[in-house]
Amino acid sequence: MIRFEQLTKRYDDRLAVDHLSLEVPDGRVCVLIGPSGSGKTTTLRMINRLIEPTGGRVLIDGRDTASLPTEELRRSLGYAIQSVGLFPHFTVAENVATVPRLLRWDKQRIRERVREVLALVGLEPDDYAARYPRQLSGGEAQRVGVARALAADPPVLLMDEPFGAVDPLTRGRLQGEFARIQRELRKTVVFVTHDVDEAIRLADLIAIMRDGRLVQYDTPETILDHPADGFVHDFVGADRALKRLGRVRVADVMRADVPHAAAEDAAALAKRDGGAGYAYVVDAEGRLLGWVDARMVREGRPCEEAVTRVRVEEASVGVDATLKEALSRMLGFGFRAIPVVDDAGVLLGEVGLDAAEAATEPGSRASQLRERSADGAPR
Amino acid sequence: MAERPFSAVDPVALSGSALALIGAMTLPFVEFRTSRIGIATYHGISVAAPVGYALLVALLACVAVAVLVPPRTRGAWLKGVGGVALVALGWALGVAASHLLTDASSISRVSTGAGAWVALVGLAIVEFAGSQALPSRGARLAFDAAIVVALAAALVLGGAEQLSLAREYAANVAEFWPEVARHLELAGAGVGFGVLLGVPLGVLAWRSSRAQRVVLGVVGVIQTIPSLALIGLLIAPLAALRVASPLLASLGLSGIGATPAVIALTLYALLPVVRGTYVGLAEVDPGAIEAGRGMGMSPTQLLLRVEMPLALPLLVDGIRTAAVLDIGIASVMFFAGAGGLGVFIFEGVGQVAPDLTLLGALPVIVLALIADGLLRALREASVSPGLRGEQS
Repeated sequence: MIRFEQLTKRYDDRLAVDHLSLEVPDGRVCVLIGPSGSGKTTTLRMINRLIEPTGGRVLIDGRDTASLPTEELRRSLGYAIQSVGLFPHFTVAENVATVPRLLRWDKQRIRERVREVLALVGLEPDDYAARYPRQLSGGEAQRVGVARALAADPPVLLMDEPFGAVDPLTRGRLQGEFARIQRELRKTVVFVTHDVDEAIRLADLIAIMRDGRLVQYDTPETILDHPADGFVHDFVGADRALKRLGRVRVADVMRADVPHAAAEDAAALAKRDGGAGYAYVVDAEGRLLGWVDARMVREGRPCEEAVTRVRVEEASVGVDATLKEALSRMLGFGFRAIPVVDDAGVLLGEVGLDAAEAATEPGSRASQLRERSADGAPR
Repeated sequence: MAERPFSAVDPVALSGSALALIGAMTLPFVEFRTSRIGIATYHGISVAAPVGYALLVALLACVAVAVLVPPRTRGAWLKGVGGVALVALGWALGVAASHLLTDASSISRVSTGAGAWVALVGLAIVEFAGSQALPSRGARLAFDAAIVVALAAALVLGGAEQLSLAREYAANVAEFWPEVARHLELAGAGVGFGVLLGVPLGVLAWRSSRAQRVVLGVVGVIQTIPSLALIGLLIAPLAALRVASPLLASLGLSGIGATPAVIALTLYALLPVVRGTYVGLAEVDPGAIEAGRGMGMSPTQLLLRVEMPLALPLLVDGIRTAAVLDIGIASVMFFAGAGGLGVFIFEGVGQVAPDLTLLGALPVIVLALIADGLLRALREASVSPGLRGEQS
């Protein structure tokens, strides 16, 4: 548990952080968000004492961080930043091994841990371990940055806009993977961002800051439904119903049971009476190739032509995506439903517009799902 | 693709080979004096016939290569044909000397003339252009080695030992190599102490903005002091120190000789070393530094594992500059009584014997080029492969 008590940072006559008190329960993601100059990054850096507080204190599991040697404290906290800050003269493996080396783990243990943690962030160790940072794409570099932060398996992760420097598509994918990793590892995470959608997607608790003060600290649902004041209301934005969809994982609301078949059988399946009127086309491994619409088949076109072969990554969503992304794709393509695939492109099911409608109703199953997972939030 | 004629001409190689050709044809190839300090008579390239004409043909071939050979194979052609021309040049000098000295008295001298020097410079440019056009480093090294060996053979077999420069060498051979060693000791000590002092100063300048102004200011000012003036400034205090402290005196400290020379060379090495260290550190990605601190590196660990390795390419560049600089300035340390190749240079000036001056000056150039090449290779070898391709 991380606990801020009257945490204050003063620069000359300006209070960057003004008597901030809050608690982050174990295993939860707390997102600090606010306009620039609101003190969110200063707050984060006071946790690992890259910035020394002017007043107040930070307690981690009941211990005052000021009582620990700074280097020891920092080695016990994972740290990932927007600029990533990979060491360009080190390989990916050497970068990831930074903290374990500082902690003097033995070589064998470091090697095993590096492979483990690279695989965890979705980088094949055999491909990536020996590369240098300049040989990585922006998204890959950010993954290595997260792997490096996780390397010594710290119970606490500090992340300062860790996905801020990549394109929106990559950012969405990294967010999805971070959510997956977090479901698995249950770290206590303090995460700084200025992106409301990112906060809503990833947070168990959102701390909204303004001018160094805490304005509201609550679950994303509560903040969306009951903003504390006009500032929060405006900051969250008018499209709150849409933002709520960002809380819902496609995996939780998809229909798993969808008509699908190999190319030669798909037309018959689509035309079947009482069927959906369409069928997905998959290959022998179950990977999505496209779909067949019954109307196109009836018009007498040859079946080959009726099979719409799609670029899987464009006309489908990943299982880690949010309902908001799925809705955006559906609207973009004019679909009433969109297929859901796993990392390998295997068809898992589909989500329809109805799922989005259901999720935006207050008290819906989907929003209950999230609220249950964030119970016990302190206020 | 539309082929425009002459669109692929190599301008560097063309100007180099044209310069060499025009110089060799129009300027005196060698100078003849009846004695070491006699009045010179000038002789054109015909005095080196027939090898001299072979040289002209080779130079013409260089021009043709620069204009006609497509860029894909041009590098090897330039190095090859340029190499042949260099060998012809060395051989022609020997031929000219033998020809002019056959019925002259033994105190007569034949010196390299302006035409030969211009041809040499032009051919150096051609070789440089050839190296630029050769992608493979191995091929460049192989060509360079072959050319050096062939040129040496041409000089020896062609009779170049009769040239005045070679006779100055023969007359001074007992002192020559010791002075070369002395020169290298002086420059090496200056660079060595410069690194020992300059790297910490560069780190200090980077760590503290107050120290930065003082350190960079002072080493910058030192660089502006003329070397002779600096020696003069050092003599009096050092002599006083020697008198005041018998211990230092017994260690060899003195107002003239190696002490002021090494101090002066150390001071001149400081600017490039300090600046290389400082700029190298200042260019380290701030994100990498923040990440290092945030992950719990101590300031020393951060310096040794992250900052210095990342600053290394520019630091080694600074050391290279310091080495080239000090090898040059060490020539002046003759005036501090420290010896070195300056001995020949200034004796030559004093005796109005240009070839004696050359006997000192040419090795200085060669030493500087060797130091430059070695330190470039050191940089390549010492820098992490993760950084290669980022700096030129």
